[in-house]
Amino acid sequence: MGHPLSSPEHARHALLYMWRIRKFEEAVEDLFGRGMMHGTMHLSIGQEASPTGMCMAMTLQDQITSTHRGHGHCIAKGADLTRMIAELLGKKIGYCGGRGGSMHIADVETGNLGANGVVGGGIPIAAGAALASKMMKRGTVAVSFFGDGAMNEGAFHEAANLAAIWQLPMILFCENNKYGMSSSTEKAFAIDNLADRGKGYGIPAVNVDGNDVVAVYEVAQAAVDRAKAGDGPTLIIAETYRWKGHSRSDKNLYRTKEEIEEWRTKDPIPKFIARVVEEGILTQEQCDVIQNEAIEAIKAAVNEAVKAESAEPSGLLDAVFKAVSA
Amino acid sequence: MLTMAEAVREAMSIAFDERPEVFLLGEDVGIYGGAFGVSGDMYHRYGAERVLDTPIAELGIVGAAVGAALSGMRPIVEIQFSDFTAQAMDQIANQAAKIHFMLGGALHVPMVLRTPQGSGTGAAAQHSQNLEPWFASVPGLKVVVPSNPADAKGLLLSAIDDPNPVIFLEHKLLYKIPGRDPVPEGATRIPLGVSKVVREGKDLTIVATGIMVNKSWEVAEKLAAEGISITLIDPRTISPLDMGPVFESVEKTGRLMVVQEGPAQAGFINEVIAQMAGSSSFGSLIAPIKRLAGMNIPIPYAPQLEKAAVPQIDDIEAAAREIVKNWR
Amino acid sequence: MSFKYPVVMPKMSMTMETGELIIFHVAVGDHVKSGDVLFEVMTDKIDMEVEAPADGVIEALVANPGDVVEIGKPVLIMLTETEVMAFDFGTDGEPVAAVEVVAAPAPVVAAAPVVVAPIILNETVKAVPKARVEAANRGIDLRTVRATGPDRTISMEDVNGAQLDPAIAKRQAANKALIAKGIEMTRSIAQASFTRSVNANFDHATFIAAWAKVLRNRPDLAAHEHVGVALIIESKYGSALPVFRDPDQLTIADLVALVASTTQAAKNGKVPVAMLSGATTTVFDLTTYSMSSATPLLFPNQVTSVTIGYESATTKIVSLTIDLNFCDFYDGALLLDALVASL
Repeated sequence: MGHPLSSPEHARHALLYMWRIRKFEEAVEDLFGRGMMHGTMHLSIGQEASPTGMCMAMTLQDQITSTHRGHGHCIAKGADLTRMIAELLGKKIGYCGGRGGSMHIADVETGNLGANGVVGGGIPIAAGAALASKMMKRGTVAVSFFGDGAMNEGAFHEAANLAAIWQLPMILFCENNKYGMSSSTEKAFAIDNLADRGKGYGIPAVNVDGNDVVAVYEVAQAAVDRAKAGDGPTLIIAETYRWKGHSRSDKNLYRTKEEIEEWRTKDPIPKFIARVVEEGILTQEQCDVIQNEAIEAIKAAVNEAVKAESAEPSGLLDAVFKAVSA
Repeated sequence: MLTMAEAVREAMSIAFDERPEVFLLGEDVGIYGGAFGVSGDMYHRYGAERVLDTPIAELGIVGAAVGAALSGMRPIVEIQFSDFTAQAMDQIANQAAKIHFMLGGALHVPMVLRTPQGSGTGAAAQHSQNLEPWFASVPGLKVVVPSNPADAKGLLLSAIDDPNPVIFLEHKLLYKIPGRDPVPEGATRIPLGVSKVVREGKDLTIVATGIMVNKSWEVAEKLAAEGISITLIDPRTISPLDMGPVFESVEKTGRLMVVQEGPAQAGFINEVIAQMAGSSSFGSLIAPIKRLAGMNIPIPYAPQLEKAAVPQIDDIEAAAREIVKNWR
Repeated sequence: MSFKYPVVMPKMSMTMETGELIIFHVAVGDHVKSGDVLFEVMTDKIDMEVEAPADGVIEALVANPGDVVEIGKPVLIMLTETEVMAFDFGTDGEPVAAVEVVAAPAPVVAAAPVVVAPIILNETVKAVPKARVEAANRGIDLRTVRATGPDRTISMEDVNGAQLDPAIAKRQAANKALIAKGIEMTRSIAQASFTRSVNANFDHATFIAAWAKVLRNRPDLAAHEHVGVALIIESKYGSALPVFRDPDQLTIADLVALVASTTQAAKNGKVPVAMLSGATTTVFDLTTYSMSSATPLLFPNQVTSVTIGYESATTKIVSLTIDLNFCDFYDGALLLDALVASL
């Protein structure tokens, strides 16, 4: 896409997508709270700048793997909002036909290899996608989104090492929201700077303010350029924060009100609006229009998805394997 | 006559030649030629770009295979001992097996995971397991257990063709020996999900997997000379399981014996018994169903202990004689 | 633009259906900021806080502390300038279309045939599956087959070798009852007899009709389709056994007449040929000999026989004998009970 401040179009894209993620998550929170969604939801409210900034440095063919908190990644990469809501509502037109739910949404057309219900599950898969890209000389990059909690999984370690020794065109993008469910990074890591881990593998690592979409874009683009030049992987540690609990049954016992309050003041969206208005790239009115556009898009998606046909059990047995062509 | 290792290598080479997206990755598969010599000279013939040596990182390797498979490649991943698949279980059971279903068919995982299994080499408990039921119990995985080199070649070619994840379980003891039948030339596939009636008889039906097929065959040969004729069925693919020939045979013989290497408790072959017990062929049984399986113990080290832990030819022979004699 | 936004009881866990409102943290008129705690709820013993979704003013509290509220139902209303992402399907606004429940047509249940529940005794049989199939096909009662296989399990060999009298096999095929344990049996005949004392106020016709009706009500114990009651009538010419076919289907007046005329004919040595066959049960009246009972006798193709004996001026003894190969011991008791009750 390009730098968010490079033109009104780019600024619009950045703001629109952050609003789309924000309003989508709020809508999911509402629908879930009314009992219309099964299971549980992992919301990323407050973390919108990271996926938006990263995806603006990617093309459609570039690939991502995502996490259980992946609605933002999906939307930033260009997923269809109706099909996303439909999946959460268990409808036939949902991305997974109602069979996957929130944690398993994939969108082949936008290079999204899927969200993952296993912490760290997507990291080796992204390494494999990067391997394929390198072997087939496609020139694409694979980005693995994961949280601070995943950095302590064996899968992160093994995938990072493979990426480093094979110089894979891969970006390991850590959304460090300071908590893996309830364990804070202070307790889960013996080091203060998560980026130091990159040294252990021989992977260059960089810290960035995950709530500043411009800053995120800049490190993301640099990492993409490295990868596509054949210089191998980069580890990005984006510092951000989730306003809501880990999932809908999280009582927030492990963090303080003050901490949550403080981070709400670092809301990435008003931060970006202030910047583009100040720099004269967009007017406040244009920003308001963009917000409304996002709201309307979500409302339309919800209304359409709610009316769609529910998924049925017939055909489940046939859905396990892909048919072998004769 | 080709050994099982050579037959597997031949199948992989044919697949490599047919499709550029097929590649092999695993520990020591490259220059070393594979821990059991299966990949052999493939590194020299195809180069380091297609025969990838990996560090010791089963979870990472299998995960990378999954990611590559999702992106248009057809990886063959070799895990050095089937026991080590435990390290990679998330990527095997939670990712590869489920992606096609969970994602509503949007993506699929055309990946083959080859790994040696079984006991008899003195490798002891952590290097000798038969883990057929681990994989057979996960919907979304196809599980193949070749009992001879000819089958191994044809089945592996089909497995590589298959758009789904296939677990290909080779037996360590079979690597270095030729089979009864020569390995056919060419690239003929043996379809997955089709059981083979290895020999026909009228007195007893034996269903066996892997190395137990060969032991049962020896027993059938010996007893045939005494007028006891045995039907031997090798499922070859244990999931999805083709029970048709088993039902047909039991309706003729009335006696069923199932033989597996792995421990009896919750072993895969219990699936055969379960299906028989609930089938319309149940009423043909004139004898209780006999199960021979490994003892419910980890595989011990000393050779006499190791042998005692799994069914041997003598055990199979004694069981066959008993069932035919006592149940008429 | 101001929006009126109802803050509802939210679903906060996978299985939650209702929550108890514990306490409000705000009052009507309070200004709140997005994220401020509005109220606390309890669910599954966990206390959770519900936050304001946007900046605004509390307009109304619509539930009371202590109320148990269904998820999705409003707890308070707030006014806000922000358009909150809220989707009200079916609470206020568009009513949810009532789903028409079409009552399924009542299933037609065919009147179940009257079957008398067999009395189950404890005998169990072990047999290989094919032996069971074979035995069922051939009408062999596995309880009569000796098990020579391991674990006392009947094998195919056992079933194939079993010797059976075809006549008995045929009868046993219709048999549901078991030979009872502990009954004193004569050496080769499996019979049992039951005796009851009754008021002596019936004639042959009444008795025959009553007995026929009892048998009619137990078709499972019948070896024949019809009921034919043979009545032993002694005369100087010997014993005559005229058979009254389906006597319970005649009017009592007709039957009385028939019995009288037949008895008369028998005593004259002339019983109509048509009445000489078709007996399914036999009645012996011993009172003419002033006897109370006699050694029971069952004709080979009959399953029951009854004797009427002399007990006193006002009472008689009715004795029922049954073939245990065909009737359960307890069936005999039930039959006699039924007969006595209807006299």
